Amino acid sequence: MVLADLFISTLTQGFLYALLSYGVFITYKILDFPDLTVDGSFPLGAAITGVFLLKGVNPFLVLLISAAFGALAGWMTGFIHVRLGVRDLLAGIITMTALFSINLQIAGSNLAIGRDADTIFTAASTMALLGSMPLMMRKFIVSLVLALLVKLLLDLYLKTKSGLLLRAVGDNSTLVTTLAKDKGTTKILGLVIANALVALCGSVVCQEQRAFSSTMGTGQVVFGLATVIIGTTLFRRFGFVKGTTAVLTGSVFYKICIQIAISLGLPANLLKLAMAVLFLFILILGDRRKDGAENA
Amino acid sequence: MLELKNITKIYNPGQVTEMCLFDKFNLTVDEGQFVSIVGSNGSGKTSLLNIICGSIPIEGGEVLVGSKDIGKMKDFQRYRSIGRVYQNPSVGTCPNLTMLENMSLADNKGKTFGLSFGINRARENFYKEQLSILGLGLENKMDVKLGALSGGQRQAASLIMSTLTPVEFLILDEHTAALDPKTAEIIMDLTERVVKEKNLTAMMVTHNLRYAVEYGNRLIMMDKGGVVMDLSEEEKSALKVQDILDVFTSISIECGN
Amino acid sequence: MGMKKFISISMAMVMGLATLVGCGSAAGSASKGKEEAIPVIGISQYGQHASLDNCREGFLQGLAESGLVEGEDFTVDYQNAGFDDNITIQIAQNFSANNVALMCAVATPSATACYAAAEDKDIPVIFTAITDPVEAKLDTGNVTGTSDKLPVEEQLELIRALQPEAKTIGILYTTSEPNSVSAIAEYEEKGPDFGFTIETIGITQQAEVLQAADSMIAKGVDAISNLTDNNVVGVLPSILEKTNEAQIPVYGSEIEQVKLGCVASAGIDYISLGKQTGAMAAKILKGEATAKEMPYETISSFDTYINSQSLEDMGITVPAEIAEKAIEAAN
Repeated sequence: MVLADLFISTLTQGFLYALLSYGVFITYKILDFPDLTVDGSFPLGAAITGVFLLKGVNPFLVLLISAAFGALAGWMTGFIHVRLGVRDLLAGIITMTALFSINLQIAGSNLAIGRDADTIFTAASTMALLGSMPLMMRKFIVSLVLALLVKLLLDLYLKTKSGLLLRAVGDNSTLVTTLAKDKGTTKILGLVIANALVALCGSVVCQEQRAFSSTMGTGQVVFGLATVIIGTTLFRRFGFVKGTTAVLTGSVFYKICIQIAISLGLPANLLKLAMAVLFLFILILGDRRKDGAENA
Repeated sequence: MLELKNITKIYNPGQVTEMCLFDKFNLTVDEGQFVSIVGSNGSGKTSLLNIICGSIPIEGGEVLVGSKDIGKMKDFQRYRSIGRVYQNPSVGTCPNLTMLENMSLADNKGKTFGLSFGINRARENFYKEQLSILGLGLENKMDVKLGALSGGQRQAASLIMSTLTPVEFLILDEHTAALDPKTAEIIMDLTERVVKEKNLTAMMVTHNLRYAVEYGNRLIMMDKGGVVMDLSEEEKSALKVQDILDVFTSISIECGN
Repeated sequence: MGMKKFISISMAMVMGLATLVGCGSAAGSASKGKEEAIPVIGISQYGQHASLDNCREGFLQGLAESGLVEGEDFTVDYQNAGFDDNITIQIAQNFSANNVALMCAVATPSATACYAAAEDKDIPVIFTAITDPVEAKLDTGNVTGTSDKLPVEEQLELIRALQPEAKTIGILYTTSEPNSVSAIAEYEEKGPDFGFTIETIGITQQAEVLQAADSMIAKGVDAISNLTDNNVVGVLPSILEKTNEAQIPVYGSEIEQVKLGCVASAGIDYISLGKQTGAMAAKILKGEATAKEMPYETISSFDTYINSQSLEDMGITVPAEIAEKAIEAAN
């Protein structure tokens, strides 16, 4: 059924990219750090994935390897910012720019992964559980499981002492120092975790598309910020909804909006404008609910 | 116990605005002393605290705790044994975290912030107990985000948080300056109680002469990077505010109550 | 708290319903064709670009020339991704969900996305304007199409004929473009056969092209040859400004570039390429062959295009044999 198919594949995209939203959620919302590394760590995950999948490495292992490399990228930005004293925005830009070259060095050039190489959607373990289902459903379920699993782990982590300290450093870094903790190290930790998640997203997207292109990172930070802001704004009134849930919804919502625009035949040039208008609308709506008269 | 030895501090070295604040400055604070520090703006009071805590670098001299030179230690390392309450009430607590979360953070000072649960529900009653001492009703606001509370309430919480875990020094940097008179009194009372009960060595910078006279067991007046008056407990108790004020005439500062 | 939960749940339901309706109404119009059993061809074009547009137009012409009438034998759903990789993916998924009969992908990113989305339903994918389908892993499976592999030898021959004294040829290219990289390799392999040394400068993004052009000019090359590199071709007019001043002839890779001012090209007519693709698509639609069975095709004949005005500006005289068969591209 056309409608169901469309809905399912769009939801899949939303779940896959939610991983990126989680990463941006950590840096932007929790650390209050505008992190542009994302545009570089996302394709980093994809580049690593491309290279390793072509070598026949277990695709689930590749997920972890990609995340590890993303962590490294986050560490680089953190180091440049904390130890070398470069501004947050610029530190991210430096890493992102460096990664553009590094990614190409890793992959060689744009990569295509033939159907003979296994991905997490076609690996033996996946087939054992879901083999009877068509590929589209397998993608849907695997991405749903991933999105929820990572969300759960993240929620749990934010409840730990380390997670609490992370939340504190973005809220009031002076207090962290007074608590005898190095706020620099804490920030670096946050960047490491966030970019590991972003690279993980790059990895699953590469596995889903079976391709790496050096430009696939462009604009991802914008997407991440949009989903985080949309998600948190939509749920601002509902304090009981966790941040991770909100951004997961934001990602799904964003992808659905694009799909609607495509289905309606909106030309791509206007599509970006439409998204911008929608974004503005949501922001205003969210603010009005909060401040009441001010924006009336 | 705390000794500042030949401290030299120059602001903006090598530039047009170069200013030497401390030139071989010396000060010793014994264990158990509760020192009030008063002085004009620019006399070096806050710089003194910052030098002790490691927030600003020095051009010469040593900062000794016991006999150990802590001059090489970074600020966050020094805070392991120092508690500090700042003048700005927003700086002592996390506005987007709840009272319970803030207290949990403070409770974990000195320990690892690992993967165990951030909030220890078993300790919640202890936190409430500590907060109830204030008499401000904060113990009923465990799930309220600190940003929603008033400056006075946040400062009160900061004071509790700063001494929740054992520290050797308590640094109070004009911590009542931003509070209304009633709350300021409450905080000062509490400060005295906490210092006494926990046997802390405390250094309090204040602009309020009355507090300087009434609280603590030592009074220091600073001017232009030097100590111009250093009164022990007996000398202090014999004084009235007016006496100190007279000394202040040559240095213009605001009066307390 | 109860009220908030109720509001949020109902809001979620409303949002869900709205999206379903939105997708439904849009999908409905597409599947209307299906009800009447007219196959839909989904054309996914990576972005707006003269060569890519030509491919698409040629494709439609090719279908027409095979006897298929638009509106009767097929309908077209044309989507342009505006060079956005994410949108390219969702376009492909849209086609798959709508059960199009055939996906036509113009340029590599669109082809990769279409092939990934088509896997489930085994919808045939036809691509065009991909230089190296083998590299892109699009040479096997229910996918076929046409390759715009550059006629490197013919180009070298042309340059040699027009500039008998030339020694070095400079080429600007994007390092991450596998199409460009493989073309460079071929140039370097075959260049010496014609007595040329090849000078290359690689760039990573469009903003660097003009500076690279300056460097290339400073190297004192005798001629510059273009690949079908999107970044370079995108700023061709600015490049030509510089090279014209330095009196260095630039050879294009297809007719559009010669129209813009390149002196000549042994090149691909993208409309012809598109037509060839359209013919292949027609076979699939008519059921005469499947994409699995059809190997991808390269364009077999090349035309020589010249721009007499540019040639005159460069002081190049065209030998008679070439002038005879060359197609004048200048306005």
